[in-house]
Amino acid sequence: MSASFNDQLVAVLPRLRRFARGLTGSAVEADDLVQAACERALARTHQFQAGTRFDSWMFRIVQTVWIDQLRSRDTRRTENEDAAINMGSDESVRRVEARMALGEVQAAMDTLPSDQRVALLLVTVEGLSYKEAADVAEVPVGTIMSRLARARIALLAKLESGVALRGSSDDAKTE
Amino acid sequence: MQRPSDEILIAYLDGELAGGDRVAVAQALAGDETLRARAQALNDSTRLIRAAYDAVLREPVPERLIAAARAAEAETMIQHLMARLEHWRAMMGDRTWWIAAPVAASLVGIVLGTGMGYFAASQQGVTMAAQQAALNGNVTAANWLDNIAGYHELFVNAGPDDRQLMDVPADGGNDALRKAGQLPSDFHLPDLKPWGLNFQGARFLVVEGQPATQLFYITDNQSLGPLTVVVASTSKPDLAPTFDKRGDLNLLYWRHHGHEYALVGTADIGYLWNISNDIAWQLDAI
Repeated sequence: MSASFNDQLVAVLPRLRRFARGLTGSAVEADDLVQAACERALARTHQFQAGTRFDSWMFRIVQTVWIDQLRSRDTRRTENEDAAINMGSDESVRRVEARMALGEVQAAMDTLPSDQRVALLLVTVEGLSYKEAADVAEVPVGTIMSRLARARIALLAKLESGVALRGSSDDAKTE
Repeated sequence: MQRPSDEILIAYLDGELAGGDRVAVAQALAGDETLRARAQALNDSTRLIRAAYDAVLREPVPERLIAAARAAEAETMIQHLMARLEHWRAMMGDRTWWIAAPVAASLVGIVLGTGMGYFAASQQGVTMAAQQAALNGNVTAANWLDNIAGYHELFVNAGPDDRQLMDVPADGGNDALRKAGQLPSDFHLPDLKPWGLNFQGARFLVVEGQPATQLFYITDNQSLGPLTVVVASTSKPDLAPTFDKRGDLNLLYWRHHGHEYALVGTADIGYLWNISNDIAWQLDAI
């Protein structure tokens, strides 16, 4: 076991948590998922190919563990779980705004099919190329492209309708 | 030209189109106001998604995850830590193992020659009497934070000709630190390379009247910036991690089992928190 493997794993933890948060929609489940993924990765270090992207390899493991968990148990997500948008103790305005945005976007994300959510998280949030995302998801590039497009369009519609609904609700209150 | 599909438009916005395809979409955008509005809306939603999830990066990484990520090391480290614990227990029978170090006398000289010289020059408002009090260890908690912030700035502002500030050079690492006699024989330098931080050297200080070691790291990551890690001996009770600020510097400090630890840098508090967790794990200082 090389020390650099563990170092790489520690360094990628924040991004794994972000990816897992997007997949599960829950802070607690996301950390459980990342922990399970770390354990699996450490048990399979020999499968990592030197010279390839370590983060992509870990994203694939997180996704695989997540799918396994979905298959093996009925994952129930607590709606509006406060921990899901736990932003720590810093009460700065920036974080409060981020907290609001996270809640709104996550609510919209949660309504997307899981394969679309994976594509969106890998490309839009994690910044992977279509090819890299396709490797992680183990599907053709064209599939990632179409899943991503459907996700982006659906999410845009949901966010726009959310804004519209909120706006009309606010209008109603002021009338 | 024919209006591109949403799929093609999104691929264009993601930078995934090249050559003729890219030019074709660019031309379509130039001549189609509705399409430009569509592209703008997609771009806006992209920024919103990224911003929302970036908040997760600023959260502290739970210690259990750091431990899990280092689990493979743990097996070999457990024996190492147990041996170290026994060794420290033996050494800390009188908790003065640092003071008893043979270079203690020269250490005071170093502080006088470098640290105080710096403060005399950089903190004009501080009287010599106050500086002497600091030397004697009669400093308040606020003062020691002032001091380590100053020590950090000293290294940040040091030029290439100021290498003599380092008592232990970067290539000295663990061996040189141990040979200097300031740290337990099995002390190991915190490895912060996962955070992009590279060790630049160490200097021996006096913090609240107790010997201390300042470890200095730099990084190419401008959002993180240089970092000072201070490890000191203390007789004070344990203290949970506590944040403070000195100017534009963030400080995070805690005490554990007779040792005081502090991080100083311009890094975001979330970064410091995560790094402190890693250091605490590496040094068994949780």
